[in-house]
Amino acid sequence: MKFIDNLKNGLLKENPTFVQLLGMCPTLAVTTTASDAMAMGLATTTVLISSNFVISLLRKFIPSKIRIPSYIVIVAGFVTLIDIFMHAYAIDLYRSLGLFIPLIVVNCLILGRAESFASKNNPIDSIVDGIGMGLGFTWALTLLGIVRELLGAGSIFGVQIFGEAFKPAIIMILPPGAFLALGILIGLFNWIKSRKTTRV
Amino acid sequence: MSIGGLFVILISAMLVNNFVLSRFLGICPFLGVSKQVETAFGMGMAVTFVMTLSSIITYIVYHTILVRLEIEFLQTLAFILIIASLVQLVEMFIQKMSPTLYQALGVYLPLITTNCAVLGLAIINIQEDYNLIETIVHSLGASIGFSLAIVLFAGIRERLALADVPESLKGFPIALITAGLMSIAFLGFTGLV
Amino acid sequence: MGDILKLGLILLLITSITALVLGYANDMTKDVIVNVENQASEVARKEVLPLAESFKSLDKEILNKIINENPNIKEIYSGYSENGDLVGYTIKTATPGYGGDVEVITGISLENKITGIKVVSHKETPGLGANATQPKFQNQFKDKSVSKELEVVKGSPSSENEIQALTGATITSKAVTKGVNLAREIFINNLAK
Repeated sequence: MKFIDNLKNGLLKENPTFVQLLGMCPTLAVTTTASDAMAMGLATTTVLISSNFVISLLRKFIPSKIRIPSYIVIVAGFVTLIDIFMHAYAIDLYRSLGLFIPLIVVNCLILGRAESFASKNNPIDSIVDGIGMGLGFTWALTLLGIVRELLGAGSIFGVQIFGEAFKPAIIMILPPGAFLALGILIGLFNWIKSRKTTRV
Repeated sequence: MSIGGLFVILISAMLVNNFVLSRFLGICPFLGVSKQVETAFGMGMAVTFVMTLSSIITYIVYHTILVRLEIEFLQTLAFILIIASLVQLVEMFIQKMSPTLYQALGVYLPLITTNCAVLGLAIINIQEDYNLIETIVHSLGASIGFSLAIVLFAGIRERLALADVPESLKGFPIALITAGLMSIAFLGFTGLV
Repeated sequence: MGDILKLGLILLLITSITALVLGYANDMTKDVIVNVENQASEVARKEVLPLAESFKSLDKEILNKIINENPNIKEIYSGYSENGDLVGYTIKTATPGYGGDVEVITGISLENKITGIKVVSHKETPGLGANATQPKFQNQFKDKSVSKELEVVKGSPSSENEIQALTGATITSKAVTKGVNLAREIFINNLAK
């Protein structure tokens, strides 16, 4: 039961994007297309799971005084690994995510989970937490990417949905569209939640 | 590089490619510390200070150590450690030297370590192959742009706090929509350079 | 004192293990990355100059002289047919667009025709300037003669040397065209016989 609770926590109840509002920079920057958004989410998830696992393994070994620098080193290590491997095996993605791959290091979500979860729980729970939070982050990003790509370019995952006649609202894939779409999505999320609570 | 070229770098980092509103760097403090103009200003100053200093140090470390030893792949690791320790040093230094300044900036300093604008700036400086002077000018432009955006945004939010906003949009959603509108305004700078 | 030493050592240990792992990963992938980058450029060269089977970088001395006079030129390759005859050149240029340099490879045949162009790297706005990578835009350059300077027009082109700008991205269209024109001039002045 605990596993499922931990998983659900990240996916919905404490969704990093819609509820905790963590890791906003990549959320806004790489969601111009659904596929970029999803790739970013999965890259972050990979780093999060690995860093949660390693930090949880080392939690008794790392003295609390130097825990933050140690976490940063571990996270930066995994981010660089992802960066190197993407460059070698997924060059197109590497090019389109660009600067935001190294910036996974400063995604508050990862350090936040290291500090508040992995440093206090066993490795298995930490992996589950990483999966839940990571996938929560991924689906939120992908949703935002789908909305923006659909409105801004008329396609989803590169597949044209509306015909030639559709005039895309280019503003949605420009920077302002990121803010507007995310604001409205979080608003919707809040609205659905508030309706649920009033019904109960 | 002529003076004119430097000016172009400054203006484009400040307005056209504004770090917050068009590059999406430093969103966390932008949304988190912008409820009041005064605190936003404090954050802006702290970021300006750290960004300029850290980009100079990362520039020197990259070119004198990483490139020479051919370990450029450790860039991310080295930069984030430099930034983290620099922030810590600056914090201790300010605390000793000027308690008043510390009171004003102290709370924001630890937050800066995970401000992606600082790391982002350091990486962009390397990617664009700027020399030391260009790096300094670019960092100044970027941090002034950041301060400008956050102070303006805080000004709007102060008034917004009094407005009648639909329940589900209160707080972050309306702040994001406001930022979107500001970003549209900044699109107007396109073509300036 | 002993405490600080111990903390320092632990941190050093963590950092060195991380650096070791990264060094190993870097070694492992270094060749793959070089290969992938080369392959991507080779494919791009073939795309813009389909007549050629193999490519060789232009003689270093001549190339350096051209680059010295025209810093916007990045690479020049000679293309050879299956039986080793020179059939044309591919010229890579970098010209400033809206978000940064736009890198274009232009293929020019010895028959004084542009055989194709490809935008290989850019930082233009997705959905607007980034559309310059789409075949619909790039194919406009195909089979144009090198003798006349190409011009960007909004709306449909009315004469042979006109290129229709991308909607909402005139700056990008101009940058690409400028790169192609530069390649054209280099071909006429330095390469054509």
